[in-house]
Amino acid sequence: MNIALFLQNILNGLSIGAVYSIFALGYTLVFSILGIINFAHGAVFTLGAYCTYALAVGDFGLNGLLAGLSMPFRLPFPLALLGGSLIAGITGVLVERLAFRPLRAKGADALLALVSSLGVALIIVNLLQMLVGAEIYSFPSDIFGSLPMAMIVKVGGKVLAVRTVQIIILAVSMVLLVLLAWFMNRTRMGKALQATAENPETASLLGINVDRYIVSTFFISGVLGGLAGTLIGASFGLAGPYFGVSYGLKGLAVIVLGGLGSIPGAVLGGVVIGLGEAFLPPDYSSLKEAVAFIMLFFILLARPQGLLGRQTIQKV
Amino acid sequence: MLELNAVSRSFGGLMAVNDVGFSVQAGEIFGLIGPNGAGKTTLFNLITGLTPVSCGDIRFDGHNILGLPPHRIATAGMARTFQNIRLFATMSVLDNVRVPMQAFTRAGLLAGLFGLPASRSQEREMLEKSMALLELVGLADKAGDPAGSLPYGARRKLEIARALALKPKLLLLDEPAAGMNLAEKGELSGFIRDIKQRFDLTVLIIEHHVPLVMGLCDRLAVLNFGRLICVGRPEEVRKDQCVIEAYLGASHAAS
Repeated sequence: MNIALFLQNILNGLSIGAVYSIFALGYTLVFSILGIINFAHGAVFTLGAYCTYALAVGDFGLNGLLAGLSMPFRLPFPLALLGGSLIAGITGVLVERLAFRPLRAKGADALLALVSSLGVALIIVNLLQMLVGAEIYSFPSDIFGSLPMAMIVKVGGKVLAVRTVQIIILAVSMVLLVLLAWFMNRTRMGKALQATAENPETASLLGINVDRYIVSTFFISGVLGGLAGTLIGASFGLAGPYFGVSYGLKGLAVIVLGGLGSIPGAVLGGVVIGLGEAFLPPDYSSLKEAVAFIMLFFILLARPQGLLGRQTIQKV
Repeated sequence: MLELNAVSRSFGGLMAVNDVGFSVQAGEIFGLIGPNGAGKTTLFNLITGLTPVSCGDIRFDGHNILGLPPHRIATAGMARTFQNIRLFATMSVLDNVRVPMQAFTRAGLLAGLFGLPASRSQEREMLEKSMALLELVGLADKAGDPAGSLPYGARRKLEIARALALKPKLLLLDEPAAGMNLAEKGELSGFIRDIKQRFDLTVLIIEHHVPLVMGLCDRLAVLNFGRLICVGRPEEVRKDQCVIEAYLGASHAAS
C-alpha cells in the first residue's frame, strides 16, 4: 500500500469514524443514565438529516404529502445544521415523554422501554415516508457555498483527494467531542448528570431533579443524533427514511465494542470501526456493512466488557 | 421539626411500618432503635420520600411533605446517609461534596455553559464551601482521589460531609457507627454533637451500638416489628418492659 492510499484511508476512516462516535455518544448518554438502549435514536438521526435538508435546500421532492412544496426560505448550511440538530434534540425530548417517562412513572420493567422506543422509531420513520416519500435526496454540490468540493493533495507523487465534507465532518466532530467532555467534567450540570448516572436514587436524595436531567440527556442525545445524521447525509446523501436503520445498528456495535456506558469508549469504538471500514480492501467492499459486526465479534472474544468498559461485578 | 402521624407502609401483606407516630423537636438528637427488621430504614425511606407511605401523615418544618418527590424534600432541608454507604464511587471526593450544591446555584444553565462571571464566582464559592466541609471531616488532602478508593471509615465521614453540603435542617443518619472500630465509635459521638452545634442541626439517628445511642440521644423511639413500642429519654427507655422484651425476650423481662 502506498503512502497516499494509506493516508487516504486514514482520512476516510477518521471522518466516518468521528460521525459514528458522535452518533454512538447519543446512545451512551441515555444508556449511562437509564441503563437501556433508546431504539428511537436511529430514527432521530434520520429525522435530523431530513430537517437539515429541508432548511438548507428547501424542497420536499416528488413523493409524499409535501411533494412539490418548497420552503419559503433557505438557510446557509451551518444554520440549517444547527436547526436540524435542535429539532432532533426536541424530538429526543418527545421520545422520552412518549416512550420512556410513562413507563418509568408506572414503575414498569426498564426493558419495556426498549419496545416502546422501537415503536416510536417506527412512527417517526413512517411519518417521514408519508411526508417526503422514499426517494433519495442529495445535498447539492454548492451546499458549502464557495468552498470547492474537494482538494487534491500530492503525496510522494501520488494523488490524495480530500473532500471538503470530510474536513467539515472532522472539524464539527472534534468541536463537539471537546464541548461534550468539557460539559461532563467541568460544569455543575455535567457533574450532576454523572451523579445521576451512577445512582439516580441517591442523586434525588441530594436535591437533584432526576427527571429534569433525564430530559436534558435525551435532548443532548437527540442533538448528537441529528448532527450525525446530517453529516452522513451531507457526505453520502439521504437514501430514504430507512437510511438510519443500518447506522442505528452500527451505532450499537460501536458502543458495545467501546464498552457500554463509557463515553471515551463510544469515541474510540466509532473511530476503530470507521478505520476498519476504510481499510477494507476494495475487492471486499460488499462486506462493508458487516465490518463493524465482525470486529465486534473478535473484540468481544478478547474483551467481553468492550475496549474501555469496566468489568461489571455481579452484585448479590 | 419532624412530625409523624399514624404512618404505615405495607409491602404485600407485610406491615413494615405500622401506625407509627412521634415528633422530633428542633435541635434534638433523636434516636431510632429496634431489633433487625423492625422497620427503621423503611421509616427513613418514608420520611425522605423514597417510598410512598400507605397511610398516615408526615410534616417537616411545618409543611406536609407527603407525595413530594425526594429532591424537593431534600432541598427543603433534609439530608440523609445510608446504612450501606452510597457514595458516587467513580467521582472524586471533592465532586461528591459538590453534587448536592448544584441545587442552590442561581446562575442558569446558559451562564454555567459559557462561564459567565456570576457563575464563576459561584463556582469559587462552592469550591471553598466544599473544601471547608472536607476539612471538617479530615479529608481535605484526599479531595482529588476517587471516592471509591477511600477506606471504610473515611467513606462514612465523606457521606456525612456530602449530606451537610445540602445545608440541611434535619440530618438523618442510618447506622453511622456500623463497621467502625471502638475508637472510631468513641469519636463519632463527639463529631455528631459538634456538627449539630456548628450547623444548627436536628439529628435523627438509627443506631445499634447501645452505649453510643444512650450517651448521645436526647430522646429515643423504639420500633419492633414495625410498631412503635416506646418513646422517651434514654434512661426511661432503658427501664421500659416492652423494650426489654423486644430485645431479650419475654422471660428476661419477667425475671
